Amino acid sequence: MSEHVEPAVPVDPQNDFLVLDDVHTHFDMGKTLLTRESKGVVKAVDGVTLTVREGEILGLVGESGCGKSTLSRTVMQLIRPTSGRIFLEGKELSALSDTEIRKERINFQMIFQDPYASLNPRMTVLDTLSEAIRTRHPNVKGDALRARVAELLRTVGLNPNQMKRYPHEFSGGQRQRVAIARALAPEPKLIIADEPVSALDVSIQSQILNLLKRLTREMGLTMIFISHDLSVVRYIADRIAVMYLGRILELGEASDVVDHPLHIYTRALMSAIPRPDPTSEKTRSRIVLQGDPPSPMNPPEGCNFWPRSPIEHDERMKHEEPILTEIRPNHFATNCPFCVQAAAETEPA
Amino acid sequence: MSAQTITTPPPERNEPMTAVAAPEQQARWWESRTARKFANHRLALLGLAMITILTLACFLGPVFLSHDPLWIDLGVRFTPPLTDGFLFGTDPLGRDMLARLLMAGSVSLLVAFSAMFMSTLLGTFVGLVAGYRGGWIGAALMRMVDGFLAFPSIFLLLALAAALKPTPTMVTIIIAITGWMEVARIVEAEVRSLREREFVQAGRMLGLGNWHIMVREILPNAMGPIIVAATLTVARAILLEAYISFLGYGIQPPLPSWGNMLGGAQQYLATAPWLAIIPGVAITIAVTSFNFVGDGLRDALDVRDDKA
Repeated sequence: MSEHVEPAVPVDPQNDFLVLDDVHTHFDMGKTLLTRESKGVVKAVDGVTLTVREGEILGLVGESGCGKSTLSRTVMQLIRPTSGRIFLEGKELSALSDTEIRKERINFQMIFQDPYASLNPRMTVLDTLSEAIRTRHPNVKGDALRARVAELLRTVGLNPNQMKRYPHEFSGGQRQRVAIARALAPEPKLIIADEPVSALDVSIQSQILNLLKRLTREMGLTMIFISHDLSVVRYIADRIAVMYLGRILELGEASDVVDHPLHIYTRALMSAIPRPDPTSEKTRSRIVLQGDPPSPMNPPEGCNFWPRSPIEHDERMKHEEPILTEIRPNHFATNCPFCVQAAAETEPA
Repeated sequence: MSAQTITTPPPERNEPMTAVAAPEQQARWWESRTARKFANHRLALLGLAMITILTLACFLGPVFLSHDPLWIDLGVRFTPPLTDGFLFGTDPLGRDMLARLLMAGSVSLLVAFSAMFMSTLLGTFVGLVAGYRGGWIGAALMRMVDGFLAFPSIFLLLALAAALKPTPTMVTIIIAITGWMEVARIVEAEVRSLREREFVQAGRMLGLGNWHIMVREILPNAMGPIIVAATLTVARAILLEAYISFLGYGIQPPLPSWGNMLGGAQQYLATAPWLAIIPGVAITIAVTSFNFVGDGLRDALDVRDDKA
C-alpha cells in the first residue's frame, strides 16, 4: 500500500490488553504455471490498528468477505500476519515462534461459527473437554477431571449427566454450549467468538448471546465478538468496530456507533435492519449502496469505499488513503470527508 | 436510530437447560446406523459368514482331523474325493487333501492378514504424515507412492521373491510392500480434507501437538475408509500369495499354501482335476468373501459424518 501513516488510534502495547498495530494479512495466490506471473495477492486484512480493553466485549461487524474471520484467525495466530504486530498483555504474539505460541494458546481461545463442524464427531463431550482442560492442568486425572468437566457443563447450562454423549446427540444450541465450554476450559483471558450464533435458530441465538455476555462478565474475560449482524453485535458489545475490505472504517462505543454512526457505510448497515414496529418500518429510509464489495485481490485505492458510496468522491480521495481519526470523543472513523460528512448531513432527526 | 429498532433477546433463564428428554442410555454399536446398514447388505453378511467358517476351519479344523497333512502314504496316491475316508481325496504323494487344504488355508490367511496389517500401518502412516504436513514433505511422500504404484507390482513381487529367501515372513513382507500405496492415497486424501475442518483448528487453538492432532483428532475420523481398504487388501494379499506360490517363488513345499497346491496340481490337471479344483475354489471363496465384506463396509460406512 501507500506510505506508512501514523495510526490515529493511540496504541500502547505495554499497557493495553490487546493491541493490533497496523496488521496486514495477505494471501499470495501463487504464480501461473508457465509464465510465472503473480496471480495476485488477496489483501484480506489490510492495515488494522485496534486496541481492546480488558474485560470488554468488542463487536466486529462487516459484510461477508470483509476479512473479519481472517482478522480473528490472525489475532489467534492460526494465520501469521504478513506485517504488523499483535500484543496480548504486553507480550508480542506475532514475534513468538510456533512452539512458543503453542504454550501461549491457553490464554486465548476461539469459538467457531458452526458447532456442527467445530466438535470432533468421534469424541464424547467428556473427551473433548478433558483434552481442553489438560492443556492448562496436564496432571488432572480421573474423578478430579470429571468434576471439572461437570462444572464446566453446568457453567454453560448443560446437564453434566450428558458428558458421555457424542456431538451428534445434541442440538445445535447445545453443541455451541459445548464449544463454549471447550473455549473456557483452558481458562483463557481472551476469547474470540467468530459468528457464534449465525448458524443457530433465532430462538437459540438469544440464549447463546446471553450466556456469552454473562460468562464474560462473571469470569472477567475479554471478548471479540464477530458478526455480520449489527443488531446482534449491538446487543452484546461494549464497543463496535466496523470493517470493510480489510480495514476498520469506524470504531466507537456501541451506543455511539449505533445511534450516531459517522461513516456512510455504518449508516447503510443500520438502515438495513428491519424495525419490529410496522409504523416506523414503513417510514424507514434506506441508504442503498451501489454494487457488490470489490475483490480484496484488487481493492480500490484511496478511500476504499468510494466505488460503493452513494456520495460522489473527488479524485483526491480516490487516491489518498484516509486515516482512522477521532472525530468525536472516543469515536473514530476514517477521515474521508465524503463518507463521514455525508453521514453528518443525513443525520436522522 | 433508536434502540427499539433492535430486537432485544429475552432475558436468559438461569436454570440449566436439559438436553433431549431421552432416558440415559449408552449407544450400543450393534444398534448404530453403520451396523444396521451392514446387516442389510446380504452379500456382505454371506461374505462375513464364509470368512468366519473358513478361518475357524483352517485354524481349528486340523485338530479334529484324523489325517496328518504331511503324512505321505504312497499306497493311496491319487485317491479321488469321497473314497476310502478321504473327503477331498489325496495328492500325488498320498497326503490327505482336506488336511492339506486347511493347513494351506491357515498359512495363506495368516500371510494375507499379516501383510494387510503391515501395509495398512505403513500406508496409514505415510498418508497421515503426507496429508497433514502437506507442502514439500507431503509432495515428496506422495511422489514416492506414485513411484511405487508406477512399478508393475507383479514384476517387483517376483523379482523380490526370487532374490530373497522365500520364508513365510519374507513372503508377507514382500506382499506388504507392494500393497500399501492404495491405503496411503486414501488416507492422504481423507486427512487433507479433515485437516481443514474446524474441530482440527480448534485442536490447534488448544495448543495440542501435531502428533496428538493427527492420531487423536484426525485418524479416528478417517477409520472408515481405512477399514474398507484393509479388507480389500486382504483379498488382494490372498491372490498375490497364491500368485507367487503358484509360480514357485512363494511358500515352499512341504509347507502347503493354496498357491503352491495349485502349482503342484498343474501337471495332473487331466488325470486328477480335484487337485486343482479344490484349492482353486478355496481361493475364490476367500477372495470373493473379503471383497463382499469390503463392499458392504464401504456402503455402511459411507455416511458423511453422523450428523443428527
